[in-house]
Order: sequence, then C-alpha cells, then structure tokens
Amino acid sequence: MKKISTIIVLLFISVFAQAQMPHDAIYMPKGTACLAVTYGNSSWNQYWENTLKRENLNIGTLTTQSVMPMIAAGITDKINVLVGVPYVSTKASAGNLMGQKGLQDLSLWLKYKFIQNEAGISLHAVGGVSTPVSDYVADFLPMSIGFKSKNAMGRLIGNYQHKSGFYLSAHGSYTFRSKIRVDRDAYLSNGKMYNTDEVALPNTTDAAFRLGYMKKAVQFEAFIERNACVEGDNIRRNDMPFPTNNMRMTMVGAYAKFQPKNIGLNARVNYVTNGLNVGQSMGYSVGLLYQINNIKF
Amino acid sequence: MYKSIALFLGLSVLFISCDKSVDEPVTDAYVPASLDLNAGSWKTYVLTSPNEFTVSEPKTASSAEYQAEIVALKTMMTSATIENQRAVKYWGAGATYRWNEIARELAANYNQPPASNAEGKYPVPDATKPLSDPRFPFANPPYVSRALAYLSVAQYDALVSAWSYKTKYNRKAPSKNDATLSPLLPVSDLPSYPSEDAVVAAASYTILAAMFPGEIPFLDAKLAEAKNARMWAGMNVQSDISAGEALGKAVAAKVMSKAKTDGMGAANNQALTAGMIENAKKLGVKTPWASQETPARPPMLPNFGAVATWNFDKVTMINIRPTVPYLEDTKEFQNDIAELNEINKNQTREQARIANYWADGPGSYTPPGHWHRTAANSAFDAKFSEVRIARTLALVGTALMDAGIACWDTKYYYYTPRPQQFGLKTSVGLPNFPSYTSGHSTFSSAAATVLGYIFPQKSSEFEAKAKEASNSRVYGLIHYRVDCEMGLVHGKKIGDYAIARGKADNSGL
Repeated sequence: MKKISTIIVLLFISVFAQAQMPHDAIYMPKGTACLAVTYGNSSWNQYWENTLKRENLNIGTLTTQSVMPMIAAGITDKINVLVGVPYVSTKASAGNLMGQKGLQDLSLWLKYKFIQNEAGISLHAVGGVSTPVSDYVADFLPMSIGFKSKNAMGRLIGNYQHKSGFYLSAHGSYTFRSKIRVDRDAYLSNGKMYNTDEVALPNTTDAAFRLGYMKKAVQFEAFIERNACVEGDNIRRNDMPFPTNNMRMTMVGAYAKFQPKNIGLNARVNYVTNGLNVGQSMGYSVGLLYQINNIKF
Repeated sequence: MYKSIALFLGLSVLFISCDKSVDEPVTDAYVPASLDLNAGSWKTYVLTSPNEFTVSEPKTASSAEYQAEIVALKTMMTSATIENQRAVKYWGAGATYRWNEIARELAANYNQPPASNAEGKYPVPDATKPLSDPRFPFANPPYVSRALAYLSVAQYDALVSAWSYKTKYNRKAPSKNDATLSPLLPVSDLPSYPSEDAVVAAASYTILAAMFPGEIPFLDAKLAEAKNARMWAGMNVQSDISAGEALGKAVAAKVMSKAKTDGMGAANNQALTAGMIENAKKLGVKTPWASQETPARPPMLPNFGAVATWNFDKVTMINIRPTVPYLEDTKEFQNDIAELNEINKNQTREQARIANYWADGPGSYTPPGHWHRTAANSAFDAKFSEVRIARTLALVGTALMDAGIACWDTKYYYYTPRPQQFGLKTSVGLPNFPSYTSGHSTFSSAAATVLGYIFPQKSSEFEAKAKEASNSRVYGLIHYRVDCEMGLVHGKKIGDYAIARGKADNSGL
C-alpha cells in the first residue's frame, strides 16, 4: 500500500491514457496508473418508505456530495489494482437534522482478465474489499455518510468489444457486509428488540448491463444497474431508515469519458427509477483523470 | 506488491464473518439470593390488602388429585420439544424480567409519531382501530412511562398477594414432593402455589393487552408459552398455574380500572394550549414554543401533567415544580445559546456518541424504557427474588411516571422555545413539545435516585448515567443547559418520594 502512494508522487510521465473502474473491462497496461479525482452529487426529494413513495417536508431535498481520489494501476496487462477513498457530506434542505461529513470507506479492488478471445469476448473477475476509515455515525439515516461495515465483494464481468468500437458489458456481484457497532445499545429490527449495540447488515447484490462505444480518446455508454440487499426489514410507517433495511433500487444512467492524452475528463449521470427503502436520487459526477506511466513494481 | 495485496485481501476477509447473528446478553436462571418470605405483608399500591382476592386452598401433596397432576406434569415434560425447552430457558430468566422486556419491545414497536395526511393534519391514533394508520398507541415517553408503571404495579401487587398465599398454604415445588422429577431450572424452597410465573404472566398480559390492544394475538401466544414453560420445565403443576393465572388477572383488572380513571383520557386535550401560551407570556416567555415540523404538529400530550401521580399529590407536584427558566433577554440565556452554537459548529464524536446512546427517540423504548431495562438488569444481576424484582420495577416505574407527569406539567406551564427556534440543528431529532425542563434529565434523575437507594453500592454509577443522559440533550442540541440542570434537580426530588414509599412498605429494605 505504501508503495502505491509513493508511486503517485514520483511518476508523472505519460504517453498513453485510459481511465478505468471496478466494473468495466478496461485495464491500465503494466507499469501505468491512472489517478482520478471525482466529484459526485446526488439528491432526492422523494423516497420509498417500504413500498410507499413519499416526500418528507422535514427533510426537503437530501443532497449527498463526495470527492473521491482513486488510483488504478496495471500490475500486469491483465491484473489491475484500484484504490479509492471518498470524502462525503450530506445536508437536508428543510427540517433541522444536522448534516454529516467525513472520510468514508477505503476500497481496494483487484481486477483480473482471465479470458479474452479473438472475437472480442472477455471475462473478468473482480474482488474488492472496503473498510471505514473514520468513526462516522452509521445509524443517523438518511444523514449518515455510510453504513460503516467492512465489505468483501466478488464480481464477474462479461464484455464484448466490436471492432467498430461498440461494446456490450454485463456484470453480477455479491457483497458480504460485516456486522457493525452503533452508539445506541438497543434497536428495533423487523419488530424485534435487539438489546445490543451490534447490528447485522444484510448482504447485497448488484448487476448491470452496459452498451457503449469506445475508440481512442472517447468513450460513452448507457447503463442500467440494479442494487439489492438479499434480505432486511422495511422502514416502518413514518420512521427514518435503519442500516438493517432491505434497500433496493434500479438505476439508469449514462457515462462519458474524453482522455486524449494523459489528462482526461469523465462524467456520469444516473437516476433511480424504482426502489425500496431508498431515495429516488438523481446523481451526477465529474472526474479529472491523470495518466501515469513507467511505474516500476 | 502481490504479497501485500494478498495479505490485505486475506485480512479483510477474516474481519468479515458470514455469521449474521448478533450477541445479546446471556440470561441464565438462578436461585434467588433471598426468597423474601415476608413479602406477603408488603404494602401494595392498588390492592387494599394482599388478600383482597381470594386464592382457594390447594389440594395437599399427598392427595390423589395432586398425584395425578404430577403424572400429567411428567408426561408434559417428556413430550417437550427442543423448541419448548428453548422457551423454558427463555422464561427461566424470570417472569417479571421477561414481561418487562416484552413491554419495552412493544413500546419500541409503537413509538412512532403519526404521519401527516393529505390535508396536512395529523390523525390521532384510535384505540378501537389499533392497527390502522396511525397505529394506536403512539408509545411516546409519557405513554411508555405510564404503561410500564401500571405493568410493574400490577406485577408487584399480584406477587405480594401470591407470596401471602404461598406462605399461607406452603405447598412445596413438585420436585420437592416427588424426587423422581428432574426439573430443567434451579428449584428454591419457595412454595409453588400459586405459581409466581403464572401470576406475573396473567397480570402482565392484562395490562399489556389494554395498553397495546393491537397485540392481543402476540400476547396470547406469549401468555400460553409462559404458562406452559413452567410445566415443560417441571416447575409447577397445573393447579399452581391456574390459581396464579386467576389471581394475576384479578389484580391486574383492578389496576387497569384505576388506570382508566387517572386522567390519561384527557392528556391530549389540545384546547388547553392557547391558555398555556397566554400563561407563559405572562411569566415573561417572549417566544413561546412552536412546533418546528412541517406541517406544524400539535404538541405531545399537553395535559399529561394532569394525570394522577403515584408517590406524591398534586399540591406537592406544584410545590416542587422548577422555577422559571432563564428568559430570552438574559445573559444566562445567551450563555446557554452560545454553548449550543459552539456544539452546532464543532460537535465532537464523543458528544455525538453520548447524544446517540441516550437518544431513545422514535422506534425506541423511550427513556422510561431505558431505565426500566437498567432496573431489571440490576435486579437480575443481584439475583433478586421475583417479588423483589417487581418491587424494584414498581418503585422505579412509579417514579418514572411521576417524573413524566411533573415534567410535562412544567413544560406546558412555561411553554419555552426549543433551541431550533433560534436556528440550531440537531444530531438526534427534535421532540415536538416545549423545552424546559428536559424530560431525559427528569426521568433519568428520578430513576437513578431510586436505583441508588435499592443498589447503594452502585449509586454513583447510576448518578453518573443520569448526568450523562442529561448532558446528551445539550450535546444533541435540543435542550439548553438550564433545562437539563433543573430537570436533574426536579427528578431527584421525585425519586425521593418513591424512596420514602419504599422505606415504608414493610419490606424492611
């Protein structure tokens, strides 16, 4: 880990540029890395309380902003490592709930291209872990900046890249989430009173389908994503959410990237079309990318 | 590099157990440190005497009827399933202990303020339609203080009565009459007729069915399990259970008839608030309290202060009412606001932790529930007898209800604004009623004072907890310092009245 941080500082020489993420089929070639700093903004003024879609005049619009530095590096042409940690802040436009802010969770992913054929089909395995890096409050939802669990994720990506530049991609993932500790020592979940400060969070799954075009310096794509807890309880009538909730959502969005040289930009918009125990958020993010070459591992 | 990544992944996976079960405190059955065989003469709250309701004389241990009951008991024990045995272990922690816990769970489940409707109004929960939206009751702190007080009083009065008959008839436990019985729980020398577990189960059932009318099917199942568990365990024969159940029901019915006339029916009289605001203005309150919710929500139970108290009368309540708080234009008020503004800007994680720990807001068992839990756990740890646990909870429970009533009287007498009316945020959620005095401080101080009397070796610990609970409301930014300090003083006085009662209840404790 220490090595990566020194690399970021030392090597700023570039010839070739390509940003990548834990859900795509793009790899930094061996000895290169991409540093991305992404600003994200997501907000909602309606949410699903269990299945009931409602507004809340004592929250108004809930806005979450984040700044996330992330680095992706090519260990080999087929194995990349990605590390990122966001700073997150929340605020509500109405009511009197105090906004929260802080460093959230440090994530590390390893991405491995284990099949690639002449026809443009490739398969990728991604393993990821994350852990909170600050002592934020996880059960002051919806103001909390995160859930504070330690997570381990496994993901399989299938990708088809046509010579024309068009591509199709799909993935499925499963994330184990650890138990967390909260400040209170009793809480209600699914009608049962737990006389402890330990809270079990449901595991989650996610899947996505992407259709895009990528050639040389440009990339754009449209996607649909589904995130869903595998179990959990629902928000009680007129109550606030709790980390044990069965949160589910379907999201549609678009992504674009332009990186002619070592410096590039990306942007993403997304919108939740339906959900359970989550806000119907509209989000966007913009990122500044910087390609680093000739890294010695 | 590869190695360090592999190590990181490996370590991280180690941290993440797939086990989703959470650890809750273990509660094993015990033989009480003292059987409190004199408890049949302890002073009751609602019963005129421990023998107000008659329990008929049981058949003797040598009778054919009793022998047949023993045979039936053995059959029941051998047919007990693993699940039945789990129920034995669960109820083995103690009847009063478990029913108090069940009541807290119900309280938490029903502690949700109604949502506003399309017209911007907040429908009032309807006791005749407990499961429609909004559900009845809205188990807010005053409601819970009252429900748990009546529960504890019914348990206590019923147990005092049961103890009087236990010592009168002196029928031993089944396993002391038949050496071939191997009960699943520890057996003491306490006479087993009528069954203390059945007494508590029936008394608790009766109170909770009245307080949480939507939960009758749930309570039916709990009642049946509580009674059967005593027989699956080989602890009581059927006639112990039946006599106990009848006594518990009769005592609790009398306690509930008192509850029905205690003034709770008028506690939500919103027509009184205009006069209260006028009174507050006369006292110098420049900005009276106003709901900070959208749409504005009517204040919580403005007339709860008129509900009947347990350990002192209404004249005393007015006499011990805290004096007028700092008014808006004073330097003292500005100091209190300045403290809050500083926390609003730079709340520390420790302040947030304390505020969260004691928040006990919607979806929780409220501060009265929090202190009932502390009381029940302390009594359990001290291996108290069933009747002494009930006495502990009755003393603490009545003090908590008195604290709720006296605090609500104070709140609506002064009708002072919340800090949010001066632009502050909150990290715990804002209660919808006037500020002065702090309910948390009053509840906590009253309970801690009583607990300090019952468990003198832990009194400084309880006092520290009450102080922390009180501070938590400043750290959470919903009370001024003066609300909390005066609430602590008020709560101490209220607790002292419960102690005076405890010292005069013939227990010698």
